[in-house]
Amino acid sequence: MIDCDVHNNWASAEELLPYLPATFREYMERGELPGGRGSFPHGHRPWLHPEDFKRQDATPPGGEMAGSDYEFMRRQLLDRYGLDYAILTSEEPIEVSTLANPYYASALASAANDWALDTWLSLDRRLKGSLVVAPQDPEGAAREIRRLGDRPEFAQVLVSSGSQRPYGDPFYHPIWEACAEMGLPLAAHLGGQGGINPNPTGTGPSTFFWETHALLVQTGMGHVASTIAHGVFEKWPNARFVLIECGIAWLPSILWRLDEDYRALRKETPWLKRLPSEYAREHMRLTTQPIERPKNPDALWAPLDDIGAKDMLMFATDYPHWDFDDPVLTAFPEEWEDQVMDGNARALYGLPERTQTAREEVPVSGVQH
Amino acid sequence: MSSTDAAAQAPKTASRTNKRHVACAADEVRPGERRIVEVGGRSVGIFNVAGSYYALHNGCPHKGGALCEGRITGTVLPSDDYSFEYGRDGEILRCAWHGWEFDIATGRALADPRVRARSYPVTVEDGNVVVTV
Repeated sequence: MIDCDVHNNWASAEELLPYLPATFREYMERGELPGGRGSFPHGHRPWLHPEDFKRQDATPPGGEMAGSDYEFMRRQLLDRYGLDYAILTSEEPIEVSTLANPYYASALASAANDWALDTWLSLDRRLKGSLVVAPQDPEGAAREIRRLGDRPEFAQVLVSSGSQRPYGDPFYHPIWEACAEMGLPLAAHLGGQGGINPNPTGTGPSTFFWETHALLVQTGMGHVASTIAHGVFEKWPNARFVLIECGIAWLPSILWRLDEDYRALRKETPWLKRLPSEYAREHMRLTTQPIERPKNPDALWAPLDDIGAKDMLMFATDYPHWDFDDPVLTAFPEEWEDQVMDGNARALYGLPERTQTAREEVPVSGVQH
Repeated sequence: MSSTDAAAQAPKTASRTNKRHVACAADEVRPGERRIVEVGGRSVGIFNVAGSYYALHNGCPHKGGALCEGRITGTVLPSDDYSFEYGRDGEILRCAWHGWEFDIATGRALADPRVRARSYPVTVEDGNVVVTV
């Protein structure tokens, strides 16, 4: 079983200081920070979670930040559910996308990557990292991808789903070029909804956290349409795009609509050779958490089956966040299980073949009774 | 096709036997406090709300989360005029995973009373909290 979205954290963002060049170390040491000393430089989203965005039982015994204690994570997640691999997506680093200063943003991303190599990624062979880049600095991001992209500790390149433009835009093509060169998927994780990035909903700002959280999937839709329309998957046939935590139920609807409109107006994008849904099935992967829960489960699976989502979905828990999906209690159609719980991620990230069925080794259920 | 409804696939627990178990001494759970105990092979939260004892199954009916490890709190009362009035302090349990609010006394979810956490009858006998599961 592979968990495709696990948030590892630091005890304090000051852990990055030794990894920053002197120029930007000063920014962090003496300059303004959004949450006081020890906080991570970023433009925070204007929707503040009224409780907390972490599971309350995920605070380590010493009271540190959730996700910052490897031993506790090992017990509460890795060992408890018998995970073969956890794809680490870190906590705050993707928020570099919200900073106006692209050079500072890229320096912070590089520092976070070096920090991850020195800390989490050397702890446990089951942990695979994400190489965070600052998308508002495409050339800097491409340099970072080439600097560390051949390190086997990293499974993918990671940005936030919040962005200045949709990711198919030629502005970002240096990032796609570098990803293709290094053979790494580009993943966009829900987040980056602040600072220089536009409001994530098409209507103008929503008001409440829960209202907004349900609408953030719109960012995923925009990236799906854009990467296909701009021919990213024709230009770089080995490009792979992963949407993390952006929902799954909307995907059939968007692909049906894109196929229909493309059939009528293909002349706008003559570089495309196939239907949008065909690019999506081959080149895109979506993580399942937080999974939509219709009253009738078939109402979710039938549309997804129509667009071939069995080949596209990858299970994720989002540990240690408040909308965690349990590896045991989250159900998929039986014939989808092996691919969604394990096989699709294993193929995407080039992980070794497994020897057991996906959930065979799970020792216990969600709550220890 | 299998169900996505965790409640339908709740963790396997022993079926009810209607056996009485001493969960803990009554003075081990003071007003406002909770204690999670093993009773009859299952994890149960014992709550003392203003002197009254309640027992809830430590598995959330939403997605199987660690219900009884959640925060004991009050809540914002329903309002029709866009006001925010806080009340019921100490009567509400908020699941440790996804934050669903439950009425400790009834086990019902505030946002959808059709969803109910499993609760067990409780009595206090000879200074002990006795739970029937």
